[in-house]
Amino acid sequence: MAGTIRAQYPVSLRTVLVPCTGRVDPDAIMRAFGRGADGVLIVG
Amino acid sequence: MLETDRNPNIEILSYSEVVNVEGYIGNFRVKVKRKARFVDENKCTGCGQCTSVCPIYVPNYFDENFSVRKCIDIAFAQAVPAVSNIERSSCVECFACVDSCDVEAIDFSQKDEIIEIEAGTIIVATGWDLYQGDDYGYGTYDNVITQIQLERILAPNGPTFGHLKRPSDRKRPKKILFINCVGSRNVDTNAYCSVVCCNLSVKNSKLIKSEYPDSEIVVCYIDMRCAGKMYEEYYRRARDSGILFIKGLVGKMREDPLTNNLIVQFEPVGTDSVVEMEFDMVILSSASLPSQGTNNIASVMNLEKTPDGFLKEAHARLDPISTKIAGIYLAGSCQGQKSIELAVSQAKGAASTASIPMKHEKYTIELIRGQPDNARCAKCYKCVEACPYGAISINEEDQIEVDIISCRGCGICAATCPSKAIDLAHYKDIQYVAYINELLPMEN
Repeated sequence: MAGTIRAQYPVSLRTVLVPCTGRVDPDAIMRAFGRGADGVLIVG
Repeated sequence: MLETDRNPNIEILSYSEVVNVEGYIGNFRVKVKRKARFVDENKCTGCGQCTSVCPIYVPNYFDENFSVRKCIDIAFAQAVPAVSNIERSSCVECFACVDSCDVEAIDFSQKDEIIEIEAGTIIVATGWDLYQGDDYGYGTYDNVITQIQLERILAPNGPTFGHLKRPSDRKRPKKILFINCVGSRNVDTNAYCSVVCCNLSVKNSKLIKSEYPDSEIVVCYIDMRCAGKMYEEYYRRARDSGILFIKGLVGKMREDPLTNNLIVQFEPVGTDSVVEMEFDMVILSSASLPSQGTNNIASVMNLEKTPDGFLKEAHARLDPISTKIAGIYLAGSCQGQKSIELAVSQAKGAASTASIPMKHEKYTIELIRGQPDNARCAKCYKCVEACPYGAISINEEDQIEVDIISCRGCGICAATCPSKAIDLAHYKDIQYVAYINELLPMEN
């Protein structure tokens, strides 16, 4: 989406594509925090 | 409706109700309950002899209970098929109708019947109902009626044969008030705007004014929403004909017990004054609600609703006809109240949309689908509940089964399962766990 509007975003933002936000497991969010993520953004 | 009935490709099942829908696009299995009329549809000629000999009168729902019909009667004058049905709860079983029928069509032993239909696609068009709250004395004061009741009074085949008469004394009302937005745009009842009532108040007030030019008509509104083709011009003509459109809603209303007139207080917007006026009749432009039939079909077919209670379309802008479930389409007011021409457009659109998969005779699905691992399953059935498409079910061996046609690959089942017993093919847990691990490397 950022690509289509030619926006830039910092490298500290890592993306994981999912088919639907319903797929996002609470376990996955906790894994991200456990591995040092400062925040998790679920966008859909 | 007659043309529809005569079309060889169309079968009308009237006096019936859909009670169950199973399956998926191309292969829906629908169970329909055909309610007992106690009259044989194939024999009845609609001659009306049974109606004329029946001694029992019941309120006529079609005339909004302003008139009566007989216990055995055709539903309304233009009903298709034009066959009688008996309201068994009011019937005294005198059997006068049975004796009078020349073709022996009346059959008191009839029972409700369930038939099964196979369908490739389904279009839901279950319509709307009128809000009937007790606002402004409706139900208490005789001369406070709804727009639908007014339509029946003005109808040439209605309870007064089209002559404007008011309920309390059957006299012609000269001073008439229309109150718009009754039950609409109100967080206590329905927050939404019911779309059609402003234009309805313009139409009915103009109709009365044209027929009875000496009428004094006032329409109280919040906004006059006359959007759409030619409606604003119609509103201008109504104002030019002498109907008073006043911005400001009615505050207090009371009935004069001697005359049954309504004494109404309102504050026109932009003035400091409270105006009190007396009217012979008050007409409520009441809100449009999703019909009882719409609520029933939504629970039978597991259809989603938007917060206003109407059926949920696939996309509010890009596709107001399809639903989330492939093969089920919406048309008319069940998807949201709309004017007649928009309902017709939507109906034509729904018919075309439904015909596309039927013409192709093929339906393509993606590969991303739920995959159960029954060895791990703890049988909590949380996935069955969580699936928004009703695609997960329990089969005879008590195993979880995913219908790959209804499944849309959203993955909610996989996220919900506490035992990790169901996963999403091509988006398995181990796949994106590896992804996250790589994106967030840890030192040790």
